[in-house]
Amino acid sequence: MNVATPLSAGRNGALILPAVAVLAGLFIGPMIYFLIVSFFKVSLFKIVPAFDLGNYAKVLGAYGVPILFTMAISFLIASITTVLAFVVAHLIWTRGRGFSGFLLAATLLTLFGGYLVKIYAWRTLLGRDGIVNNTLVGLGIVREPIEALLYSPIAVVLVLVSYLLPFAILPLYGALRSIETKTIEAARDLGASPWVAVRDAVLPRCVPALVTAFALCFLVTAGDYVTPRMVGGTQTMMMGNFIESQFGLRMNVPLGAAMTYLTIIVSVAVISLVWIALKTVLRPK
Amino acid sequence: MNIAFGRLANNTIGVLCLIFMVAPLFLVVLFSFGSSSLMTFPMAGFTLDWYRALVSREDFWSALENSAIITGSVGVLATAIGTTAAMVIARMRPKQSATAFFLFGLPMMMPPLVLALALLSLFSVLGVKLSLITVVLAHLTFTMPFVILIVTARLRDFDYTMIDSARDLGASPAKTFFTVTFPLIRPTLFGAALIAMALSLDDFVITFFLIGGGNTLPTLVWGMLRTGLDPSINALGTLILLLTIGSSAVALRLTRYRG
Repeated sequence: MNVATPLSAGRNGALILPAVAVLAGLFIGPMIYFLIVSFFKVSLFKIVPAFDLGNYAKVLGAYGVPILFTMAISFLIASITTVLAFVVAHLIWTRGRGFSGFLLAATLLTLFGGYLVKIYAWRTLLGRDGIVNNTLVGLGIVREPIEALLYSPIAVVLVLVSYLLPFAILPLYGALRSIETKTIEAARDLGASPWVAVRDAVLPRCVPALVTAFALCFLVTAGDYVTPRMVGGTQTMMMGNFIESQFGLRMNVPLGAAMTYLTIIVSVAVISLVWIALKTVLRPK
Repeated sequence: MNIAFGRLANNTIGVLCLIFMVAPLFLVVLFSFGSSSLMTFPMAGFTLDWYRALVSREDFWSALENSAIITGSVGVLATAIGTTAAMVIARMRPKQSATAFFLFGLPMMMPPLVLALALLSLFSVLGVKLSLITVVLAHLTFTMPFVILIVTARLRDFDYTMIDSARDLGASPAKTFFTVTFPLIRPTLFGAALIAMALSLDDFVITFFLIGGGNTLPTLVWGMLRTGLDPSINALGTLILLLTIGSSAVALRLTRYRG
């Protein structure tokens, strides 16, 4: 254990200051400024200080359906990803060296690269003449290529689940590794089936990691505009697309900021509900 | 019977997820060498034409240069700032360090679009001109948490008696760091820097909003995607994957970081 001795203890606390400066100046500061701007107004192409909820009312009035759609698809993607990620993390934790090594390596390596490349690859995979359609037609499963594979909400779900899986697997694997195998052995010795042991002894200990994985997937999806634009087609307009467009041609920063904060607030509310639900359902027995 | 079935189902899901994560990237690499401009099987033949087309583009070289400048700066700065923070966090009580991880990790949870737009509006009101520097500053926010996590994990099982011996023998704190601490944690720092660089190199959204003018490799991909089907994208994508996945593979060996 690294019990700090008096000579080395706490003397260089100031060393943390550069990192604090980065966090405060380049993250917290801009986020607070962005929150303030969300109450401002635009008049004659200039941002004018104002303090009313006009922007928020406008967003709620005009973008209610896109917000609901964004929340629904984010919930779907985050749920699928978290469930699959738990299965994979559990496999890495329980299976022998070969298989789990493969899974862990794939997870860690696909984590750090290829955001645009992945989206682009899926676009060609799911296209009319893509590999997925060719295989389905070749195997005689469908007669005509399925047009709706690409440029549909289904494509957005597929692409984002594949992109987010490694991000969700890691926290879950971390949580599983800190569980003592004795707990599971005890449950099994007492006659619990594998599923019951996972439900009553493993899952309850993973609740914080499950929430982390879910929240990460949910927020990334809710704020993504590249995937819906690239593979979502015209009917998949998510909040990210509307937010982004306020900073392009339309240039209404206050409205864009209000959209952003409203999306974040609703997202955090959904994530909190999921957290409460998981805590209630997954109680250690 | 039931148990065997459950095991089989889980293994199947595992294999499918593995394919799901790896296959798209694998196909991009494969088809960057294929002579047909369509990504369909069977592959028509082997060619390096797409790589030749790529390196003959002028905007490729300027994008590569910009990516190198940004990635290099982010690697050095994020590692330096993250390491000094990790030296403090590693000695905190568990509760304090959990809070520190949470706070420093917040930018990772935020969608890149939000980070980019918040910074963009602040920079524009402060009159900061967009350039490679603004991109580097923005990249520090989401690369630093990884450095802090990795380096703190290494410092946690660090033998502090060595530092105290050096200090007892009269070495200054700076001398102790450079002659004792640094050589011992060097592989970890190198690995952390590579992770930061991989994340920075791969970023598209933040770079796109904050670069002002010019391209990096991902924004070049974006431009090529918008101008139509150009198989050089496969070659460029392969290059990006080689750099990001290659550096993280080296990094994971060096740091032995496993989540």
